[in-house]
Amino acid sequence: MTNSTNNKSLYIHIPFCEHLCPYCDFTKLFYFEKFSKPYLEALFKEIDSYHLIKMDTIYIGGGTPTSLSDIEFESLLKKVSNLLNRGGEFTCEANVENLTSQKLSLMARYGVNRLSIGIQSTHDERLSQIGRFHTFEKARDVIKNARDVGFKNINVDLMYGFPGQTLDEVKDDVNNILSLKTEHISIYSLIVSPGTLFFNKNIKEQNQDDSRLFYDTILQMMREAGYERYEISNFSKPGYESRHNLVYWHNQEYYGVGLGASGYVNGVRYKNTSNFEKYLAGDCVSEREKVDQKLLREYFLLTHLRLKEGFSLSEYKELFNKDFLQKYQTKIDEYAKNNFVKISDGNFAFTDDGLMVMDRLILSFF
Amino acid sequence: MKFDREHIRNFSIIAHIDHGKSTLADRVLELTETISKREMHDQFLDSMDLERERGITIKLNAVTIKYKAKNGETYLFNLIDTPGHVDFTYEVSRSLAACEGCLLVVDATQGVEAQTLANVYLAVDNNLEIVPVINKIDLPSAMPEMVKDEIEKRIGISCVNACEVSAKTGAGVPDVLEAVVKYIPSPNGDDNKPLQALIFDSYYDSYRGVVVLICVKNGSVKVGDKIRLMAANKEYEVTEVGIRTPKEIKVDSLSAGEVGYLAGQIKDIRDVVPGDTITNAIQPCEKPLPGYRKMNPMVYCGLYPVDSKKYLDLKDALEKLSLNDASLVYEAETSQALGFGFRCGFLGLLHMDVVQERLEREYGLDLILTAPSVIYHVYLQNGDMIKLDNPSKLPDLTLIKEIQEPFVKAEIMTPKEYVGPVMELCKERRGIYHDLQYFDDTRMIITYELPLAEIVYNFFDKLKSYTKGYASFDYEYSGYYASNLAKMDILLNGETIDALSTIVYKTNAYERGSVVVRKLKEIIPRQQFEVPVQAAINGKVIARADIKAVRKDVLAKCYGGDISRKRKLLEKQKEGKKRMKAIGSVEVPQEAFMSVLSIDDE
Repeated sequence: MTNSTNNKSLYIHIPFCEHLCPYCDFTKLFYFEKFSKPYLEALFKEIDSYHLIKMDTIYIGGGTPTSLSDIEFESLLKKVSNLLNRGGEFTCEANVENLTSQKLSLMARYGVNRLSIGIQSTHDERLSQIGRFHTFEKARDVIKNARDVGFKNINVDLMYGFPGQTLDEVKDDVNNILSLKTEHISIYSLIVSPGTLFFNKNIKEQNQDDSRLFYDTILQMMREAGYERYEISNFSKPGYESRHNLVYWHNQEYYGVGLGASGYVNGVRYKNTSNFEKYLAGDCVSEREKVDQKLLREYFLLTHLRLKEGFSLSEYKELFNKDFLQKYQTKIDEYAKNNFVKISDGNFAFTDDGLMVMDRLILSFF
Repeated sequence: MKFDREHIRNFSIIAHIDHGKSTLADRVLELTETISKREMHDQFLDSMDLERERGITIKLNAVTIKYKAKNGETYLFNLIDTPGHVDFTYEVSRSLAACEGCLLVVDATQGVEAQTLANVYLAVDNNLEIVPVINKIDLPSAMPEMVKDEIEKRIGISCVNACEVSAKTGAGVPDVLEAVVKYIPSPNGDDNKPLQALIFDSYYDSYRGVVVLICVKNGSVKVGDKIRLMAANKEYEVTEVGIRTPKEIKVDSLSAGEVGYLAGQIKDIRDVVPGDTITNAIQPCEKPLPGYRKMNPMVYCGLYPVDSKKYLDLKDALEKLSLNDASLVYEAETSQALGFGFRCGFLGLLHMDVVQERLEREYGLDLILTAPSVIYHVYLQNGDMIKLDNPSKLPDLTLIKEIQEPFVKAEIMTPKEYVGPVMELCKERRGIYHDLQYFDDTRMIITYELPLAEIVYNFFDKLKSYTKGYASFDYEYSGYYASNLAKMDILLNGETIDALSTIVYKTNAYERGSVVVRKLKEIIPRQQFEVPVQAAINGKVIARADIKAVRKDVLAKCYGGDISRKRKLLEKQKEGKKRMKAIGSVEVPQEAFMSVLSIDDE
């Protein structure tokens, strides 16, 4: 699993945005040409340093990749498309407000075959409260345009748990999102992280009772509409799981390039610097973590257990030379009694109930 | 540096908390150049962090000072610091036994406080010469004449020789030094008699073994002498003698009247008992010095390591701590819920607090303290009597004839406008009214008989808040009386948790039970499943609250595969969990064990 010849995935971070969202804690800065030009140069250098070929999955995320100018965007796509293997998955993130028809046709031309669009809410007042400058009407149009250009695999992001949000608003959001008939939907609750505007404004995250109620409702509606939750936050129509994200959740290695990106190469998990100047100077990696056997096991559990299918008990035994069920028998019995875990077809996984509290459950296996 | 006895003064300072004792000591150290301004930090004698942070003196501390008096001669002062809180009366009596006189520091804006009186009487009992020092005369509200008048009337000490000072500015402090020379007698004693030295403190040093602080009453001691610890009946050879200025300085010998330290490769800390007498092994004295009155612990609680593997570390730490805290007693006990630990006795709540903090800070231990309890006398049908210091061990009710609890006679001095609220508080705490008297024009003394159990928990805090901090409080043990008591058990998830049992007054048990279960519900975090918390008396549930199940605990967002961040977060959570005690399948934070004493919903 940790053999670099098996490393066939690449994440690329574009840290620029036209607006900064008040809840976002990813590495990002305002878009200015005087930043983007040297950034792309440094990025290309970093990509070259890995001598990549025939990637099975490539994911361009941000920030907002579509905040780049058309010329910059094209040079990026051109550079990256050469690295993609035939039949590979090529995802690009986009915002509703700057996913123009020019950007769409560039993507199509350079082989992007999966679009991920941040919609977040389908209520225009809510959208302006969270610093998004689009309307739901515009989102609908953009998706229609994407279909017209030929995109057959589209993801949209939705958030819930906003201050003062009602269950009715959430149900309405889900119905609106379902009406877009995308192949993949990611749903997250609002997290208020230090350093964000929401945090500074002392906006509180939703309490866990309401958050759970909202999520259970969402889960039910999504399933009724034929979507499967294959990972904690991700839903898809059968066969449309994100191949790139599954690399993460199968604890497989991947390259990560760009400001603040993380990667996993040759048994080392690393994180790139978030310091723009350092990055431009080619001083990319700022943290390295050698994944020894103990960490490998923890990461194995942390990643696989986010998946509906969990992990294969025989694979666990092969990797770690221990029988998982035997080792944690008491805890597992307790969890099973409370319907937090299930064992089927040789796989160990959390149930719906277990997934919602997995952070505390998983500690027993560390 | 050898002084004849005529030029030695051994004295201590008695004062109420905040009346400026440590500040005065600081000025004295400065003025005599014992410590340079550069080395000086506030409250020099309070060397424990805890003392400086809380502004209190816990341990007595001794320092030797050289002073050139106005008559041209140089004197050697041994200043022995004393704690001001009533919990530490024992320490006070230890320091006074090593002195011939004391300075009584009284705040010129506050007057004499009840707690000071107790210590003054100790000094009078020890036949010490008392020099009144009226402090804080720089404050606009200072009334030195009124305060002197009060000292003469209330305590019966002449204020003719009283000094008026401001320890803060240093004004008048030189007069205090002169007064020490003039009014405090030099120690008596005979260098030629066999050695008699009083042990008043000790501490452990990994190179020299136990270092013993002594006051030599008769004879002398030098390096190479064979000495005997009389109570322990152990003999050692002296390897070092010295004085503390407060830095340790080796000297050739210590003679009658002198205060200092000695070391003798004493390995077993239990051999050194404060109050014991050291004599010469070859030429022993006939009988030991009177020593100290042993103080009896008033409050008991269970002390357990959060991590049960640390039991031996705790044992070791308690042993070391009790070396210079003779009032701390402990014995091993076992709890079903908490595992191996100790039942410890303390002089009072502050004492308990201080011991806990010292164990945690100085020995790096994470501790669980069970709710403090007094000792109950349980009379059985068969005529036996059990002294019960652990509520969970109360025998079956059918076997019990009567339960008696300790009462104290409490004297509360308060400005007269707060008499109402104070009496209300005493009534709430099952107090029996005795007396109400004017102390002076503005203050009254209220006397109540109160169950000790009722003042163990937050009585003093309450009293302070009811009187805007003006009341002072002193108590003495008055006896055991029968009360209508019962054991209240707490059940978590249906199981009785022995460490949470308390003895309660039956009449308000229902109210108490519902407050306690509510409080536990607040303190114990949500668990994997719903956990009922119940209070029960005689197996009958009297109150219940439910700790909700965790509904959502997952960091769903994990961007660009950055799972390292999440792993590190979980690692921290795991550390946090280690500070909780797993009881069955319920994780209980340390403070929960104390919360069973919650009286109201603050």
